[in-house]
Amino acid sequence: MITCDDYKKELAAFLYGELSPRESQNLESHLKSCSACSRELNSIKKVFNGADTLNPEMESAMNQVDWEALSEKIVDHAWKRRSPSAPGYRAGIRRFWILPRLRPVFAALFLGILLGAALTFMVLRPPQSQWQGSYELIVTPEALESMDIEVVRRATLDYLDRSQYLLLDLVEASPDRAVQFWRSEFASRQAQDLLFKKKTIDQQLDSYRMAKAKVLCDQIELLFLELSQVSQEVSAAELEKLQNLVQERQLVMKIKLVKKELQESEV
Amino acid sequence: MDAARTVELAHVHALVQRVRDGDRESFIVLTRLFQRKVYLLAYSFFRNHEDALDIVQETFLRFHQKADLFEEGKNFQNWLLQIAKNLCIDLYRKQHKKDQENLLDVPSEEVQWGDGDTKTDPTHSSDLKDIFGRCLSRLSERQRLIFVMRHYNQLPYTEIAQILNIAVGTVKSLNFKAIQNLKALMSPYVGVQP
Repeated sequence: MITCDDYKKELAAFLYGELSPRESQNLESHLKSCSACSRELNSIKKVFNGADTLNPEMESAMNQVDWEALSEKIVDHAWKRRSPSAPGYRAGIRRFWILPRLRPVFAALFLGILLGAALTFMVLRPPQSQWQGSYELIVTPEALESMDIEVVRRATLDYLDRSQYLLLDLVEASPDRAVQFWRSEFASRQAQDLLFKKKTIDQQLDSYRMAKAKVLCDQIELLFLELSQVSQEVSAAELEKLQNLVQERQLVMKIKLVKKELQESEV
Repeated sequence: MDAARTVELAHVHALVQRVRDGDRESFIVLTRLFQRKVYLLAYSFFRNHEDALDIVQETFLRFHQKADLFEEGKNFQNWLLQIAKNLCIDLYRKQHKKDQENLLDVPSEEVQWGDGDTKTDPTHSSDLKDIFGRCLSRLSERQRLIFVMRHYNQLPYTEIAQILNIAVGTVKSLNFKAIQNLKALMSPYVGVQP
């Protein structure tokens, strides 16, 4: 069902002659019976009449133009533009480069190219080869000495640490448990290790004048030596004697003090 | 009959091909064939002789630069009018922007803030031509373009659709709206029902 609104939309096409014969016939028969659509058609005709009033002005404007000269001028202009040596062409290029509103575009393009190049380099660069040159390390004697002292200090600290735990096992355990512990393979191996370690740090303790630490380490060494010699058949009485010795000489407390000193003198 | 319409399609395409090859004479022939069409579109849009001449010149210069982009088998006149239409819109927006900027420069005391009676204003001619011209200039750029293409350039809806790259139905609808708006704008001056 075609409504009046549908017909109204076709009225302009009807006046322009753009409807098919059948569409025109249908519209014409509708217009005979519909006064609203007829009024609308008259309104559109008035608009078209108004539009037609500009026609003379347009014709007059068209008559003012020298078409032959205009086409020649256009073609001359086009030929000037296409020649790179022509002044017009160069001026165009110059304007293109100095146009202020295009500068941000150029800046963005330039940045984009730089970023793209950097990314391409990062992605495509060959893996870094191993350096084949020879190293030449220059170390002053002072630096070497301070490195040696540091090594001794750390080795002594480690020796004292481990000794402290072993002595605490000896001092704080009940006589029966202490006998059981010192007869174990673990205790014997620990004591042997510490005796060996003492031999490695002995010379260095002498060289670097760590007198206090040296005396303490010697005392601990003697104790471990004794323990390692009797460990397999140590008796409760012997252990008690050694426990008293440790306490008498305040070995655990001395270890703590020397450790503190060594930690404070960290290089 | 219009000269351009009498020229066969194949002949126009051959001329375009020769322009691509750098033939000056063919370019002159094509310009002479279609310059009136372009001028009419630009003049009816702007109603200004200088603007229309600028559009004609720039349209053919663009054609010369972009002749390689013209696809074989397409309607050359529609392609050329598409270039002209784009230039018209560009110029219109430029002028519109300038007008708005100029309007801001007008001191506020010089602006008529009240509801001016245009019927009794002596600076407004009651001549139907001037009334219609003013009403046409108040249409949106798209509606104005479609109306002038249909009414003055006498281009059928299908060709307008090709030039604007929109559906024929949209062209019809926009032209209908343009006519309704013109009716409403003209109603205070002439006996047209809004």
